Amino acid sequence: MKDHNPPTAAPATSPSRRAFLRGIPVLTAAAAMAPAPVLAADATHHWAMLVDVRKCIGCQACTVACIQENAVPEGSFRTFVSTYSVKLADAEQPAGTYMLPRLCNHCDQPPCVPVCPVGATFKRADGIVVVDGDRCVGCAYCVQACPYDARFINHDTDKAEKCTFCAHRVDAGLLPACVETCVGGARIFGDLNDPAGELRRRLDAAKAEVKVLKPESGTEPRVFYIGLDERFQGRVEGQGTLWQPRATHG
Amino acid sequence: MKIERRELIAAGGLAAFAVGFSQTLGRMLSGLVGDAPKAHNIHGRSAEPEFSVDPATGALRPNPNQQVSYTACLGCTTQCGVRVRVDRASGNVIRVAGNPYSPLSTEPHLPMKASVRDSLVALSRFQDKGLAGRSTACGRGNAAMDQMNSPFRVLTPLKRVGPRNGGQWQPISFEQLVRELVEGGDLFGEGHVEGFAALRDLATPIDPDAPELGPKVNQVALLSSVNDGREPFARRFWNQAYGTLNFVGHGSYCGGAYRSGSGALFGDLKKMPHAKPDLANAEFVLFIGTAPGNAGNPFKRTGTLLAKGRSEGRLEYVVIDPVLTNADNRAAGERGRWVPIRPGTDGALVMGMMRWMFENGRVNTAYLGYPNLNAAEAAGEPSFTNASWLVVAEKGHPREGRFLRGSDIGIAVAEEEKHKDADPYLVQGPDGKPMPADVATGPAPLEAAAPVMVGDRKLAVNTAFELLRESALKLGLAEYAGICGVPEAVITGLADEFTRHGRKACAIAHGGMMAGNGFYNAYAVVTLNALIGNLNWKGGFVVNGGGFKDAGAGPRYELETFPGAVKPKGTPLGRNVPYEKSAEFARRKAAGKAYPARDAWFPNAPGLGTEWFPAMLRGYPYGVKALILWSSNPLYGIAGLRPLVEKALADPKKLPLIVSVDPLINESNAFADYIVPDSLMYESWGWSAPWNGVPTKATTARWPVVEPKAAKTSHAPDAPAIGMETLFIALAQAMKLPGFGPAGLADIEGNRLPLERPEDWYLRGGANVAFGGKAPVGDATDEDLALSGVERLRPLLEATLKPDEWRKVAFLYTRGGRYQPAKEAQDETNPEWQTNRFKNALWLWNDNVGGTKNSLTGKRFTGCATWQPPAFADGTPMRDVHKESDWPLLVVSYKSALQNSYSIATRITSLHPDNPVIVHPEDAARLGLATGDLARIQTPGGEATCRVIVHEGVMRGVLAVEHGYGHRELGARAHTLGDARQPERPDLRAGVNLNDLGLADPTRGNQAIWVDAVSGTSVRNGLPAKLMRI
Ligand code: SF4
Ligand code: SF4
Repeated sequence: MKDHNPPTAAPATSPSRRAFLRGIPVLTAAAAMAPAPVLAADATHHWAMLVDVRKCIGCQACTVACIQENAVPEGSFRTFVSTYSVKLADAEQPAGTYMLPRLCNHCDQPPCVPVCPVGATFKRADGIVVVDGDRCVGCAYCVQACPYDARFINHDTDKAEKCTFCAHRVDAGLLPACVETCVGGARIFGDLNDPAGELRRRLDAAKAEVKVLKPESGTEPRVFYIGLDERFQGRVEGQGTLWQPRATHG
Repeated sequence: MKIERRELIAAGGLAAFAVGFSQTLGRMLSGLVGDAPKAHNIHGRSAEPEFSVDPATGALRPNPNQQVSYTACLGCTTQCGVRVRVDRASGNVIRVAGNPYSPLSTEPHLPMKASVRDSLVALSRFQDKGLAGRSTACGRGNAAMDQMNSPFRVLTPLKRVGPRNGGQWQPISFEQLVRELVEGGDLFGEGHVEGFAALRDLATPIDPDAPELGPKVNQVALLSSVNDGREPFARRFWNQAYGTLNFVGHGSYCGGAYRSGSGALFGDLKKMPHAKPDLANAEFVLFIGTAPGNAGNPFKRTGTLLAKGRSEGRLEYVVIDPVLTNADNRAAGERGRWVPIRPGTDGALVMGMMRWMFENGRVNTAYLGYPNLNAAEAAGEPSFTNASWLVVAEKGHPREGRFLRGSDIGIAVAEEEKHKDADPYLVQGPDGKPMPADVATGPAPLEAAAPVMVGDRKLAVNTAFELLRESALKLGLAEYAGICGVPEAVITGLADEFTRHGRKACAIAHGGMMAGNGFYNAYAVVTLNALIGNLNWKGGFVVNGGGFKDAGAGPRYELETFPGAVKPKGTPLGRNVPYEKSAEFARRKAAGKAYPARDAWFPNAPGLGTEWFPAMLRGYPYGVKALILWSSNPLYGIAGLRPLVEKALADPKKLPLIVSVDPLINESNAFADYIVPDSLMYESWGWSAPWNGVPTKATTARWPVVEPKAAKTSHAPDAPAIGMETLFIALAQAMKLPGFGPAGLADIEGNRLPLERPEDWYLRGGANVAFGGKAPVGDATDEDLALSGVERLRPLLEATLKPDEWRKVAFLYTRGGRYQPAKEAQDETNPEWQTNRFKNALWLWNDNVGGTKNSLTGKRFTGCATWQPPAFADGTPMRDVHKESDWPLLVVSYKSALQNSYSIATRITSLHPDNPVIVHPEDAARLGLATGDLARIQTPGGEATCRVIVHEGVMRGVLAVEHGYGHRELGARAHTLGDARQPERPDLRAGVNLNDLGLADPTRGNQAIWVDAVSGTSVRNGLPAKLMRI
C-alpha cells in the first residue's frame, strides 16, 4: 500500500485567498416557491419536469432529439434552450452565459385550454396538456393564449402542436426524448405523486430554490427550475444574445 | 415554440432560412407500414416507441417494427458509443441516443455483463433507472443522422468533367474507376496521367542526389482526418502494401499545438502523449484555450462531469479564453468562471503563475526531486519528472541544451547507443558528482551546485528545474500581466488557488493554443501540472485507459503485418525530420553557409498536413504525383491554405492525380479528379478508442447497423457496397499487392485467410479485441442478438470466424464495444492512484527541442516552457510585420457548441444558421457597429463580409469567429452529377470561415502558410485584422 495522503504544496483553501475570483455577482433570485403535489383526483400519476439550470451545457441535444422524435417541422420547436450572453456589472468577469431550457409547462391552470373553440386542447388526467389533432381546426387561439410561447401551428398538418412530454413514450414506460438524451443531466422527469421517485425527492430537497417561469401569471406550471434567475423568470432583455427568444416573450 | 427569422437576425443570424430540408427528405413514419402515414390524434407524427417497459415489473416488450443497435457516432471526433433506432421497413434511422455501456455517453457506464435486455430497461422509467443511467447523444449527435439521407451524398464513383473544381461530374462504374486509377492513361483529354501501378516505384530514388528522400512511391500521399476505427485498414494498404511513407491526419490543423506542447512534457514529440483533468474527482481545474462542455473531446463526457461537479459543489473551474462560451453557466455561480485573455498570450499568463509559484514556495519541490519512477513510488508518488536531470549549459558546446549523458562523462556505452535510450541521464549524486538518474533511490538535488568535471575540463551544467525557473523569472509579473491583459491579481490568485488543492487540481489546454507561439503556450500550460505533481493521481492529471487493440499481432489474428509488407522510408512530405540530416544541409554546409535552409523544417513535429500542400506544389522536399483525400477537408480546415494553393491545385500539371474517398463533396475534394463514395457513420465498420479523457480501457464497435447506401462494386448478387475498404481491396488486387486477396491475412497459427471483403478484416479485428485484455469476453446469447439487431450479422460472423470466436465477437457488437468496468479507474491496491498510469518521466526540459536549431536561422530553440510573442517561422514577431496601427484587432476562431466542420446540411443549421462575428461593445462603438450590422473583416490574408453580434463575451480588441460556417460546398454549391443536379441550398453558404482569412508567412517568402515554428501547426488564433462598417 502506498501513502494515501498526497502531500500538498500549500495549506488548505482559505476562502479569503480566493478574492480574485470573487466580486462576480451570482444572479440571485427571489420568489421562491415550493411545488405542492397537486393530486389529480382521478389519476395515479401527475407528470412533471424539473430543470436544474446549473447543469445545462446548452448543447441542444434535447432540442434536436425532440425534433427527430416528434417530426417537428423546420423552424419550429417544442423545446429549445435559449442561450444568453449576459453582461455582468461591477464584476471582474465582464459577461457570463445563461442557458434556459424551455418547453410547454403543462400548467395546472393552462390558459390555452379555455380559449379552444372546439375543445381540442385539454389536460389529461395525468397532468399532460395535449392537443387532439382530430378535433383541432388550426385557429391558433391557443398559440396566442400561451404565455410561454410553447405552441405553434405545424404547417405540414395545419394543427396546433406543442410538447406532449413525449406522452407516447411515457405511456410506454419510457422517458421523454429530451430527458433521455440530456447531456448535462439537467432535465428530470417523473411523477409528482410518487414520493419516492427521483423527481419528488429532488424537488423536496431543493425546496426554496425551486422556481417556475412567470409565477405571477397564475398558470401553475408543472415544469420546475433550480438555478433559475429571477431576471429570466419573466420577460428577458438579452443584451446581445447567442440565441434570442421571441421579442414578445410575455 | 417558434424562433422567428427576425429574432435570429437580432441574434446575429442570417435571413436565408433553410428551405424545408427535412421535409424534402421525407420522414419514414414510426413503423406504420403503408403508404399514407396516419397521424395519431394526440401523438401526431411522433415516432412509435422502440420498445415498452412495464413500469411496475420492468418487463421489456420490443417493437418488432424497429431495430435498436449500439454503434459509434461520428458527429464529431469523440466517436461516442450510441444507440441507433432504425425503422425496419424503410431502413431509415428514426433517432439516435447514447449507448449505456459506453463511458463516452454514460456516467457511470453499465457493466458489460448486463444483458442487452437489462441495458434497454436501464433506459426506461422503471425505478427511475433511465435518469440515473442516462445515456445521451449531444445536439450534433442527434442531428448527424440527417446526413444518411442527404441529397448531397455521393453514392457512385464520380469522374470530373471539365476543369478541376468545376462542379461537373460523370458517374462511372467501379470497374472503370479501378482500371483508370491503376493503369492511368489520357484520362481527361489533358495528356497522360500515371496510374497507381506505375507510381508504385519502390526502387528508384526521387532524387539520386538526395537519397534520404526515399523512393518514388513516396510521391503518392494520403491525407485522412481522424482514426474513425478504420485507419489501420487504410494504413495497411497505403503504408504496408503500397509502400508510401506519406499518410497523415488532421492533427496539425486541429489542436496540434497543444498536442506538441504536451508531447514535449511527456517526452515524446512524435506520439505526443497527453492527459486530462480527472473531472470526476477534481476540485479545481484551469481550462486555458479550451471550453469544456462547449466543444472538444470527449465532448459529452466532459460536459456531463462538469455539470455534475459544479452543481454538486465539489468542482470549481476557470476558463481562460478570449471568448465566452457555453463552458460558463451563470446559474452555477462562482463554481465556474471566465477570464478573458488576449489571443496567443496564454504563455505569459502561465509563466506569470509559475513565477509566483517559484517565488512563494508553491512548487512541489519534494516531488520534483525524484529522478525515476522507483524512487518516486517508494515515496508515495505515482509519477516523476526530469527536474533534477543535468543539462549541458556550456556556451557553444556541441551538446549545449542537451542532457548530459553517461557517455559524456566517460561511462561505457556502446558507440551505436551513444546519446540514445541506453545512455543514462545524469543527476547530481550525494558526492556532488554526476550519477545515472535511473539508479537513484531517493531525491536528487534540483540545483546543480558546480560545473561537472569531464576529464580535466569543466563543463557548465544546469538542472531542468533551474532552466524552467530561469525561464519563468525572465519577466516580472506586471510585464506578464501587461502582455496577456489579465490583471496581476488574477494571475497570482489563479496560481494561489491552483496550488491549494494538493493533487486535485489540474490545468489543461486545447484548440486555443493554435497561435503563432502555440507550442510554448501549450508546453507552459501542461508544465503547471508537473509543478504540483498531480499526474496519475485520482482527481489530478490522468491518462486515457486506451483501447483493446484490433489490428495487432493477435491474440487470434495477425493483423499487424504480413509477408511482403513494405517498411516505408524516406523524408516525409511535411519535413518533420532534422534538416541537418538532409543532402541540402550537407551541400550548404560545404558551401560555407548551412543556414538558412530553403524553407523551414520541423524535426520536433509529427506528420504535418499543414505543410503538405506548399511542399507538394513547390516540390520541396519533392513534388507529389497522386494525392488521396480520405474524409479530409484541408482547404476548409487549414488557415490560409485556400488563398495560397487554390490556383495550383486546380492545375493537373502541378499535381497530376487527386482521388477522394468521401461520402460528401467538400471544399477540398471539389478539386478531385475522382470521388469514390464511402460509407457514412452507421453504415461503417471499425474499432475505435477514445482519444482521451476516459480513464478505463474502452473500444467502440462500429458496424453497419443499416445497409450502406452507396452503389455496389458489381452486379453480382452479394457484391459489397463501394467504400474505402472495397476500393483499397480492389486496387490491391488489381496491382497484386501483398497483404490482400485470397491469402491476404493469417490467423495466429499462421493459416492464410482471405482479405477480400471489409468483414474479413473487422470481424477478425473483433476477435483480437474480444480475446485481448486479461480474459476473453463472454458469449452473446440469442436474445442479445435479437434485441440488438446483431442478428443481421450472424451469418457473416459464423462464416468468417471460428466456432469459439463468433459469439464473443457478437458479444462486442451487441454491447457496441468492449469497456473496462467504471470502478476500475483507480488502482486496486491504492485507491488514490489511477489504474492506467503514465510511467515515463515528465520533461520540464525537453532536450529534443532545446538541442535543435531553427532551420531558417540556425538559432537554438528553448527547451522548456517560456513566454515568447507570436512569431513567424524565423522568429520575427508577427507584430513587427503587421503593425497594430494597421491591424488593430486580433481574430480568433472558436469551436461551435453545435456545428462541426461537416454538419452544415443537418437540422443543426436551422437552430443556428450562421456565425456572426462577436465584437466587443467598446470596439463596436468605435467602429459604429451594432448587432446585426454587416461589416468587412480583413486580415493580411484575405477579407470577407460578415454580420456582427456585439456583446461583452469577448476580450476587448478581439473578433471571434465560430468554426463551421462560411462553406462553399457540402451542399452550399449544387454540383451536377451526370444529368442530375443537386438541390440549391444557398443558405448553407452563410457566415464566414476564418481559415479563408489565414496568413502566409512573409519570412518564408509568402510561399507557405503561417505555422508555429516548433509544432508546424496552423495559426488561426490571433490573426491581425481590421473591421470596417459597410
Ligand atoms: S440536453 Fe440538457 S444539457 Fe443539453 S441543452 Fe438540453 S437541457 Fe441543456
Ligand atoms: S460528442 Fe456528440 S457528435 Fe461527438 S461523437 Fe458524441 S454524440 Fe456524436
